[in-house]
Amino acid sequence: MNTTKGKVLNRYHVIFLAQSIMIGTGILSLPQKLSPMGYTQSFMPLLFGVIASLTLFAMVWLCSKFPNDDLFRMNEILLGKWLGKFINLLVIIQFIVFSAGIISNYMHLIQSTALQEQTITMPVLCFLLLLIYIVSGGIKSIARFCIMTFFITIGLFYFTRWAIEKGDPSHFLPLFNFTPKEFYEALKQGYFSILGYELILFYFPYIIDQKKAFRHSLIGIWISIFLCFITTAISVMYYSEWQLKNVEFSVLNLFKAGEFTFIERIDIIGITLWVFLILSSITAYVWCAKRGMDTFLKKKKQSYQLYIIALIIFFIVKMPFSREFQEKLFMASNYVGYVLVSWPVFLILIYVIRKKQVQV
Amino acid sequence: MNEIPEQIVAKLKQEINEVDDVKLKMIATEEGDVTVIYFSSLIEKMTLQTMVTIPLANNLKQIHQMAQYLDPKDVKGVVKKLNAGQTLLFFHETNALLSVDTYSAPTRAITDTETESTVIGPQDAFTESLETNISLVRRRIQSSMLKNENRIVGSEANIKISIMYMDNIVSHENLDDLRNRIDQVDYPLFTDISVLKQLIEDNPLSPFPQYYMTVRPDSICRYLLDGRIVVFMDNSQLAIVCPTSFFEMFVSIEDYYNRWTTASLLRMLRFFGFFLTIMITPMYISALTFHPEILPYELLLNLQESRSKVPFPPLIEVLFIELIIEVLREAGSRMPAKVGQTIGIVGGIVIGTAAVEAGLLSNILIVLVATSALLSFLPPIFLMSNTSRFIRYIFILSAGLFGLFGQMLAFAWLIHHLLSLKSLGTHYMTPAIPRKPNDLLDSVIRFPTKYIRSKTGISKVQKK
Repeated sequence: MNTTKGKVLNRYHVIFLAQSIMIGTGILSLPQKLSPMGYTQSFMPLLFGVIASLTLFAMVWLCSKFPNDDLFRMNEILLGKWLGKFINLLVIIQFIVFSAGIISNYMHLIQSTALQEQTITMPVLCFLLLLIYIVSGGIKSIARFCIMTFFITIGLFYFTRWAIEKGDPSHFLPLFNFTPKEFYEALKQGYFSILGYELILFYFPYIIDQKKAFRHSLIGIWISIFLCFITTAISVMYYSEWQLKNVEFSVLNLFKAGEFTFIERIDIIGITLWVFLILSSITAYVWCAKRGMDTFLKKKKQSYQLYIIALIIFFIVKMPFSREFQEKLFMASNYVGYVLVSWPVFLILIYVIRKKQVQV
Repeated sequence: MNEIPEQIVAKLKQEINEVDDVKLKMIATEEGDVTVIYFSSLIEKMTLQTMVTIPLANNLKQIHQMAQYLDPKDVKGVVKKLNAGQTLLFFHETNALLSVDTYSAPTRAITDTETESTVIGPQDAFTESLETNISLVRRRIQSSMLKNENRIVGSEANIKISIMYMDNIVSHENLDDLRNRIDQVDYPLFTDISVLKQLIEDNPLSPFPQYYMTVRPDSICRYLLDGRIVVFMDNSQLAIVCPTSFFEMFVSIEDYYNRWTTASLLRMLRFFGFFLTIMITPMYISALTFHPEILPYELLLNLQESRSKVPFPPLIEVLFIELIIEVLREAGSRMPAKVGQTIGIVGGIVIGTAAVEAGLLSNILIVLVATSALLSFLPPIFLMSNTSRFIRYIFILSAGLFGLFGQMLAFAWLIHHLLSLKSLGTHYMTPAIPRKPNDLLDSVIRFPTKYIRSKTGISKVQKK
């Protein structure tokens, strides 16, 4: 990795980094996660967008006070050395488990639809090799890969055209047909799908134009929110309420509605192209975990920590524990993700208190 | 100069001891004895007569005016000049050592190109002589801003290379970078400039060529005015152009002579042909081995019918026939012309048809493989079509391992690899990423000539 603290990310990199990291496996089951709300779930992504923008504002405000430090350094500065290092260790573990969760989820999906006769060991290994190759290029190569991913996979949206044709727009009404309890459930489960923009806390030092970073990340976030919104809108039109609750991976089933003359099942192409989106999300998380490990190790040996992280991920995915334990672990890491999103608010309070202390 | 003339000549004779090509002659002139030393294989008799023998006899002043004075103590330098085809004249009376440039080895005449032919446009091509090549460029760009720098490379062979560029357009950073790289190369012999190219590339491990190579002078002149740097080598027909980008590997100079609609169509064909050729046969393998449900019913029936007698799984079948086609191609290009004609018949008809009849291959597959072989020849740069052959095997193997998922993984690897390549510091995927809007007018689609000036983004030209 050749990232010296030079500024390498221009505005397109920032926009598409924020956009690509958010779209991972989350969007595949988004309609199911929001199903407590029933048919009125289509405006939930917009609400998530508003929440995301507010939390993003807190993050960028905090980062602009420390223009050359990422979150790991900020933790150490604001919380003291030992507590900061402890929190950093937790963050690294969280990222590793979260990435392993995404990979495990995706690989099981591939196994059930596309590759029915194989165990997932070899595909996971090859996937991790490619991951190591991309992450060793640094944040700029990840950003470039995200830009290419966006243009390659945006074509998938054309495949939802048949679902729109067969769908029924009357499902949208009535509009406010939910209870606060359902709303809370959907909010809690659905917000996982758009986690990812908090990584700006880690690549902020590399952005060239830091004053406008908020604007650019916001553009990226709203592109993703818009995509989520279209997805939920189309699923609401196409599915019935029972289906929304029980069909897993609703987006893939939307693809099944497609009919071409020369290809029967487009969802297989859709699911295999999805690997680009998964890669673009996970490479960013693994890069952050690697940066975290860098702060713990004094000598800047280039690449062996990357192999260690990949090995840990491999073991978590292939753990001999039961599936339920894995599910619980990954759910836990999702909730910790929420904590990470609200962490900057906590840090801002500490920063403001410290400043007052210094002034006083 | 205290040494006796004979000692100096004796030292020279020692250096060129067993070289029977070297002729030594003693000629008596008005100014005393003169020893003439030259390589008879590098100098034509007429040149020797007009430049050396006749002036020595009649008009010594001409020699003194035209010749270069050398230091007799620097034996190595003197021998280098002798090796380069110059005639040494040693005047015994005054102990002066002169050299006259008489290099006139036979060269090939300018013919048309067989490897990069076009229908319209100039048909001349570079030859192996450096002087001829430079003259082919200079007659097209008649400007004193066209600089060329000569250098010698090759520690044992001492070959001349020439770096040409337009001084008012080129980026001097690129120039310095290139000069540094060439100066650091340490290799005994360069039989062709492509050997030098592999030593000065940014990423020698990548399958993709990072500099453009061509034998056409009109191409070279176009690139020179775009602000690129061109390197010629003596005894090498090709010239390399740097920096370059991925999209330029699909550009033929005839695109600029055709109208913009034809040119755009052909470019899109080449570009998508590249991606099709690496996807068709792997799709066959993954559809038949892992995802038969992806094909519509009639096509599936058709495929199963043609594969009904084949005993191998699709991966082995495809590898088998791809390797046969590679063997045909390679053997066809290495065989002498007379024997090579039979290869076409043996390969095409016998192996193809007979193998299908015998039930070793399916005939749909032969159609696919033949199409993809044809498509792989679309890029005008030979190195790029070789690259697509290699990459196809990676895709075939990954499709055989994991089906469509493996193909997409390989595709992600390809995209990432292309994004991380650099050509003399410029990103390989310019003008797509990073975006240079001016250059986009001339990449996959070619806009009318009125709107395209030059590709300023790739070569980071100087701002006026």
